[in-house]
Amino acid sequence: MSNQSTHISTNESVLMRLTGIATPAVTSGIVVASMILMPFMLGGSWTFTLGLCFANSIGVLAVSMLVRYGGEVSIGHTFFTALGAYSVGVLDTRYGISLWASVPLALLLGVAFGIIFAWPSRNLHGIYLAVTTLALALAVPEMINNFDSVTGGYEGLYVATPLIPGASMGSQRYYVALAMLVIVCFAVSRLRLSRQGMALLLAKTHPAAADAFGTRRVWARISIMGISGGIGALCGATLAFSGSTVSPGGFTFWQAIFLLVGSVVSFYGLSLPRVLLGGAFVTLVPQLLSASGAWIPVFYGLSLLGMILLGHYMPRIRKTMSRNSEVS
Amino acid sequence: MIYDLFPLIWSGMITGCLYALGALGLVMIFKCSKVVNFSHGNVAGLTAFLVYGLSSGMLLSLSWGAAVLLAMLAAIAIAFLIYSIISPLVFESDLTSTIATLGFGLIAQGVTLLVFGADIVALDLPIPRFAISVLGLLVTGYDLTVLVVALVTIGALFVVIDYTKLGIAFRAISANPFAAEVCGLNLKSVHYFAWITAALLGVIGALLIVPTTFLSVTTVATFMLQAFAAAVIGGFASLPGALVGGILVGVMMNLFTFYVSPEYSSTFLLAAILVALNIFPNGVLQKVGGSRV
Repeated sequence: MSNQSTHISTNESVLMRLTGIATPAVTSGIVVASMILMPFMLGGSWTFTLGLCFANSIGVLAVSMLVRYGGEVSIGHTFFTALGAYSVGVLDTRYGISLWASVPLALLLGVAFGIIFAWPSRNLHGIYLAVTTLALALAVPEMINNFDSVTGGYEGLYVATPLIPGASMGSQRYYVALAMLVIVCFAVSRLRLSRQGMALLLAKTHPAAADAFGTRRVWARISIMGISGGIGALCGATLAFSGSTVSPGGFTFWQAIFLLVGSVVSFYGLSLPRVLLGGAFVTLVPQLLSASGAWIPVFYGLSLLGMILLGHYMPRIRKTMSRNSEVS
Repeated sequence: MIYDLFPLIWSGMITGCLYALGALGLVMIFKCSKVVNFSHGNVAGLTAFLVYGLSSGMLLSLSWGAAVLLAMLAAIAIAFLIYSIISPLVFESDLTSTIATLGFGLIAQGVTLLVFGADIVALDLPIPRFAISVLGLLVTGYDLTVLVVALVTIGALFVVIDYTKLGIAFRAISANPFAAEVCGLNLKSVHYFAWITAALLGVIGALLIVPTTFLSVTTVATFMLQAFAAAVIGGFASLPGALVGGILVGVMMNLFTFYVSPEYSSTFLLAAILVALNIFPNGVLQKVGGSRV
């Protein structure tokens, strides 16, 4: 028995030494640095796609936040992305106002509607909330098309006002998305250390203890929905600016599911490299498979299942393997 | 306006019976395995396409009955496969297995697209076309078929659940899985029963709903979303609740689209779900009870 424990501890210390060198902050730093240099190495279309990757990563982060801090699954986050995208799109095309004003508005609207949605659903958990968010996702395209005097209906809106007048629009679309992703990821990592973040996590893992400490469950639910909705709206705002067009096709029910798929594929990670992985998955798979559209749902479905089964079997396989290596 | 009320309620009840068929499948699966089967609509849609492909000469040109039989066998096989893959997850986390069913839904949708394409096809039922007028109400052969098939299916389901050994095992597992297992029941085999029955209910519902619209990749999936609403309003853990919820959703949707606006039907459904869950957290048939601390 003692033999086994020493074996594990030496194993762990080696791992610790290895991971100690590459701490999450350093990994994120390297990723960000290489992303800053990317446009100098890649062509225009790839730069554009990467910008969309960053935007979708924020959406994946919004879904993962809800899972990690709230313990709830949402398949309706296109509601919030649509909210953000249309606040950027409408302010831009109707009033010529740039991101300086429309991003704060998007954030405000996202948080507000997250809270508005959370209030009637405050007592719903697990599958009940999931089905309610499903209804939310279905209502989105219908609302967009019916407010066509504002949203432009099926045709959509074209976002063209630059953030910094004079700078090249192509690189702005890229760097704004990257900056947004970095800022959101940084804010989320700070939240983890804050009192609020701790209280939310406590309310999720030990509701009774949280009650005893004065964190009410309803408050926790409403605030995490507000945060997640706000991040979702930022995703939409970035998507509108980097993707240059806003149309109902980007906010369908399937898009909401794809965000969830991205979140599962990144194992609900909140760090920058992880969400980037999820965002890249959401963005690149349809691009790479665009020639054979029917394979996209199959591929998404298979990778969703694959990741879930991997998450289920991996710890077991690892355990068996370590046991086997001990025997030999 | 008021003269339209009865025909609207009647046709709402007919569609409501179909929503109930879909909702019953969802509730059966949820009651025993605590999983919400998001693949229900897409799998049912795939089987409806299978009936079309097998009877129209696209894959084979069988008679309608033989095609339905084969499609039902396919539905059983698919349900068996899905449950076999996710069964290790079911006993660990209901939310993870629910997400996994989304994956199966995506695969079923993709397979439908790959095999049958994105075309819209017509798939009718082999029933006599007639219409009789009862008290100013126009009743068509389709209406009667739906009513009879739905009533017979639901009646048979309730008889199986109430009186057979399998049904008793199903109820035992839904009420208390641990105690049921201690008593020697095999959880998995009862779960298989629920998943397969649900798939068959889905096939019946899909075949009956398709004649009112056309058959496309999304028709049946969209139809099943109303079934989700029906299940939620009925309480998600109550079979009679699913029936009542289905009919309620059918009638409410019909009245809403006629009197208010056909363009906001999904928004209305969302509002209905939120209101219903706040007033009746455990479904419309459950008594609202307080708990003592």
